[in-house]
Amino acid sequence: MDIVVCIKRVPETAEAEIKVDSSGKDILKERLTFDINESDNYALEEAILLKEKRGGTVTLISVGPPECEDTIRMGLAKGADQAIRVSNEGFGELDGFATAEILKNTIQDLSYDLILTGCMATDDGYSQVGPTLAELLGIPHAVLVTKVDLQDGNARVERELEGGLLEALEIKLPALFAIQTGINEPRYASLIAIRRAAAKEIKVLNAQAIGLERPTLRTRVENLFPPPVGKRAEILKGGAEETSKRLAQIYKSKGII
Amino acid sequence: MDFDLTTDQRMLQKMVREIATKELEPVASEIDQSGEFPWENIKKLAKQGLLGVIVPEKYGGAGFDFISLAIAIEEISKVCATTGVIVAVNNSLAAYPIYQFGNEEQRKKWLPLLASGEKLGAIAITEPNAGSDVASMETTARLEGDYWVLNGTKRFITNGGEAGIYVVFAYTNKELQHRGISAFIVERETPGFSLGKHEDLMGIRATANCELIFEDAKIPKDNLLGEEGQGFKICMHTLDVSRIDIGAQAVGLAQGALDAAISYAKERKAFGKPLSEFEMIQSMIAEMATQIQAARLLVYYAAYCKDKGMSRFSKEASMGKWFASEAAVNATKMAVQIYGGYGYTKDYPVERFYRDAKIMELYEGTSEIQKIVIARSLLK
Amino acid sequence: MGGEMGKIFTLVEHRRGQIHDISFELLTKGRDLAAQLNSEVVALVLGHGTEEVVERVKGEAHQVLWVKGESLKEPNAEAYQIVLSHILKEYNPFLTLIGHTALGMDLAPPLAASLDIPLATDCVGIELEDKRVITIRQPYNGKLNARVSFADAPAFMITLRQGSFPSEEGNLTGKVVDIPSPLEKEPDYRRFVEYIEAAVGEVDITQADVIIAVGRGIKEKENLALLEDLADSLGGVLACSRPIVDEGWLSKDRQVGSSGKTVKPKLYMAIGISGAFQHITGMKNADTIVAINKDPNAPIFNVAHYGIVDDLFKVVPVLKKKILELKG
Ligand SMILES: Cc1cc2nc3c(=O)[nH]c(=O)nc-3n(C[C@H](O)[C@H](O)[C@H](O)COP(=O)(O)OP(=O)(O)OC[C@H]3O[C@@H](n4cnc5c(N)ncnc54)[C@H](O)[C@@H]3O)c2cc1C
Ligand SMILES: Cc1cc2nc3c(=O)[nH]c(=O)nc-3n(C[C@H](O)[C@H](O)[C@H](O)COP(=O)(O)OP(=O)(O)OC[C@H]3O[C@@H](n4cnc5c(N)ncnc54)[C@H](O)[C@@H]3O)c2cc1C
Repeated sequence: MDIVVCIKRVPETAEAEIKVDSSGKDILKERLTFDINESDNYALEEAILLKEKRGGTVTLISVGPPECEDTIRMGLAKGADQAIRVSNEGFGELDGFATAEILKNTIQDLSYDLILTGCMATDDGYSQVGPTLAELLGIPHAVLVTKVDLQDGNARVERELEGGLLEALEIKLPALFAIQTGINEPRYASLIAIRRAAAKEIKVLNAQAIGLERPTLRTRVENLFPPPVGKRAEILKGGAEETSKRLAQIYKSKGII
Repeated sequence: MDFDLTTDQRMLQKMVREIATKELEPVASEIDQSGEFPWENIKKLAKQGLLGVIVPEKYGGAGFDFISLAIAIEEISKVCATTGVIVAVNNSLAAYPIYQFGNEEQRKKWLPLLASGEKLGAIAITEPNAGSDVASMETTARLEGDYWVLNGTKRFITNGGEAGIYVVFAYTNKELQHRGISAFIVERETPGFSLGKHEDLMGIRATANCELIFEDAKIPKDNLLGEEGQGFKICMHTLDVSRIDIGAQAVGLAQGALDAAISYAKERKAFGKPLSEFEMIQSMIAEMATQIQAARLLVYYAAYCKDKGMSRFSKEASMGKWFASEAAVNATKMAVQIYGGYGYTKDYPVERFYRDAKIMELYEGTSEIQKIVIARSLLK
Repeated sequence: MGGEMGKIFTLVEHRRGQIHDISFELLTKGRDLAAQLNSEVVALVLGHGTEEVVERVKGEAHQVLWVKGESLKEPNAEAYQIVLSHILKEYNPFLTLIGHTALGMDLAPPLAASLDIPLATDCVGIELEDKRVITIRQPYNGKLNARVSFADAPAFMITLRQGSFPSEEGNLTGKVVDIPSPLEKEPDYRRFVEYIEAAVGEVDITQADVIIAVGRGIKEKENLALLEDLADSLGGVLACSRPIVDEGWLSKDRQVGSSGKTVKPKLYMAIGISGAFQHITGMKNADTIVAINKDPNAPIFNVAHYGIVDDLFKVVPVLKKKILELKG
């Protein structure tokens, strides 16, 4: 079972203050910390679990600047066998389709039975790269996958629909699954594995090497702006004592207590 | 000159930071209050190889350098100084002397146990009547056939109540003064060895700090570490190494306090603006940050000296340990100040940080002792 | 270009006889855009036994294209793709709108790629600037908005975020056009096996009047006790955002949001929840929404009625005390 996992390095923004840069199209990244995208981390873990069960190899691919090599290496330390970084230098702005196109050009020459991606990147939120890549490679796919059982030449997967409902599907391999969070419990890398991974070579490919000088840019971010303050909450003022007291009174007046 | 971490150091830092915030931070306050030894933490860290950071791979360790160990201790101590020192002791006070001074059989026998966390390590130097003045220890060991027979009491032993392997110092020949001290590897199950009083500490409260009692304890002859009479040298060299890690523990703790203080100062308002806009608060933040950075550089430099294979780095280790421990006491004190009354409650971690910091000026040689070491090396 | 250029096609999403709410939001937006373009909106209904669906959406569009077939019984992205690419190639609509749902996320990207047209996903706004289509998206989990434009193309596809567009009753009389299915059987490379129902838990949060919902801000499982206390003081039940379920701290039946439950209690308290749209979808219709979050820019404050910007660990114990005091 040879598995390719596509991972992305993203800024952690859930608790951070984010500001738009001077171009107006991107955010200021200096003060942010970066990590593997949340659902990609689950995809990586799933690949390693599948490999541990069935043998084979796990290959990581990430499109990005040199800084994302640490993220890639951590994937190697967790159990992936080899890695490719496709340098984004010269590509300019990328959207979901363009990223998928780059990945397609990179992966088409590899041998694989399965491709795993995350189901959504927490920065751009496209939810587009995995299924687009499947289409470009001409293989079946499923997104929001929460369970993968491999059989010979087939996979039985479960994917999430709405309201807690799941559907089970049977999909022919090779296939691509975009993994949803919670499917497993991602591991930490061990120190020894980190030391080995630190010394491993990450294959770096550029536009020429993958034969794609200009990815097709189909959408473009014109500008970023703070969400309009529509009906904002009434923010209760003061310390915990005051805000709590006020809130309790509101509850009382509304008949909640 | 290059201040960048290497790739593996950066990765180690990231992994430890992740495990610290996800696994250790949530229970830090709880173990502080219960005082219960955090075995769960230790097992999780052991699984990642953090109990044998500097132990070479062939003895079951991860084979990292001392800067890496310092980084790991720093990251752990940022959220939990208790867990930080437990790991530091296992690495640099138990595994390290066995690696450095043990023979091949001893290394093969003991290091895998320590590096895997199967057995926890401790070091026993201090006694009721011998603290700073190590040579005044009273514990003795005499050879009887195939055994060394130990008698005496050790005090204040970190990990003491939970360890499986102890590096114990005792006089084999009182007449030779400090040249008559020897080091032994002692197992928990040793007949004649028992645990005494469990210390109720101000900070680092879950470190199983315990008295060790040796009453005709029979240690196999093979467990003599290094040569007879080499104990004092082993002790001093080991302390040089471990002071790097206590310095790292202090840097981590101080950084944790600074991070907390910064986010609180930005959130908390007084007189209509966030605390962070008051210059006196800014002054504290600047002072904390600068001292922490200076401390970190001193500590990393001492580790660098060790990694470079310099035979003497006592002065560097003592500078780092002294400066960092004082920076930690200062930073945690200021963090409490910035938190105001809330900082004095158990609702916020800075209260624990403040209590945890003080020990760093005391153990592994008090600040006074560090200054003596530094001055001696300059004036000799 | 085909003669039908300029039309707005919308996919009617339905499953097990139920039309997905998003379908009406798409149709409403579709009518709005069609009016601006002087064009028409067309509803696409695919499936088996979909008479009622067609009946229901007839009034919402100028035309209903109806594809019937047993092989389309359950919405299957690969099967839908075959049918839709066939239709879209033939009709060449200017714009195709699909819900950003479990189905839409599975379907739209490969469909757009196979048609070679631009796709913007998860949009919360669509604007027309002389036939130029601009969409509004919300990257960084709703912390910022982005204006996104398309490269030149004859046609575009957009997936719309649920709940971001109003849904109004239409008053058209759509002509229903039967289209023979180009699909004989479900593609063998992706077959539907079965539905797996959500497990039934100990409490049904959809029935609760008061919900105390916790998110990743609670940091650790042990802190649930604190929130449980608060819930008790209000006679409410504990619910949560998705990461809490992913961590295994609460069971799936407590999850609120698009992949969890939709609730409409009298009081919904979101504590340490950032307010990602997948969460908001499930709770925005609560009578009173209160958010406690230390980040003043957390998107949850855009749906809450009352907000406290503070550390939840500081507020929650005090709040519980105040509530108990007032209860007497
Ligand atoms: C929590 C904790 C954990 C510990 N863990 C361990 C452990 O794992 N293993 C172990 O062996 N020991 C351990 N110790 C012991 C610790 O290393 C000693 O407490 C420390 O070395 C000081 O010794 P003392 O307490 O006997 O103080 P003393 O030596 O009695 O010193 C008292 C004071 O006198 C000062 N002083 C002493 N001599 C001089 C001098 N020459 N000039 C100026 N001032 C001087 C000291 O600086 C100090 O201020 C631990 C102690 C504690 C509290
Ligand atoms: C297809 C799909 C379906 C999904 N379905 C759902 C769903 O059904 N339900 C759902 O909830 N999510 C769902 N998600 C996930 C969703 O995108 C978000 O990732 C998730 O809702 C975030 O949860 P959170 O707000 O708890 O965590 P975060 O976004 O990490 O936010 C934590 C918040 O806590 C605050 N905080 C931290 N510490 C404190 C403190 N001490 N005091 C006060 N505040 C604090 C922070 O400021 C932050 O705003 C889905 C995602 C996908 C891709």
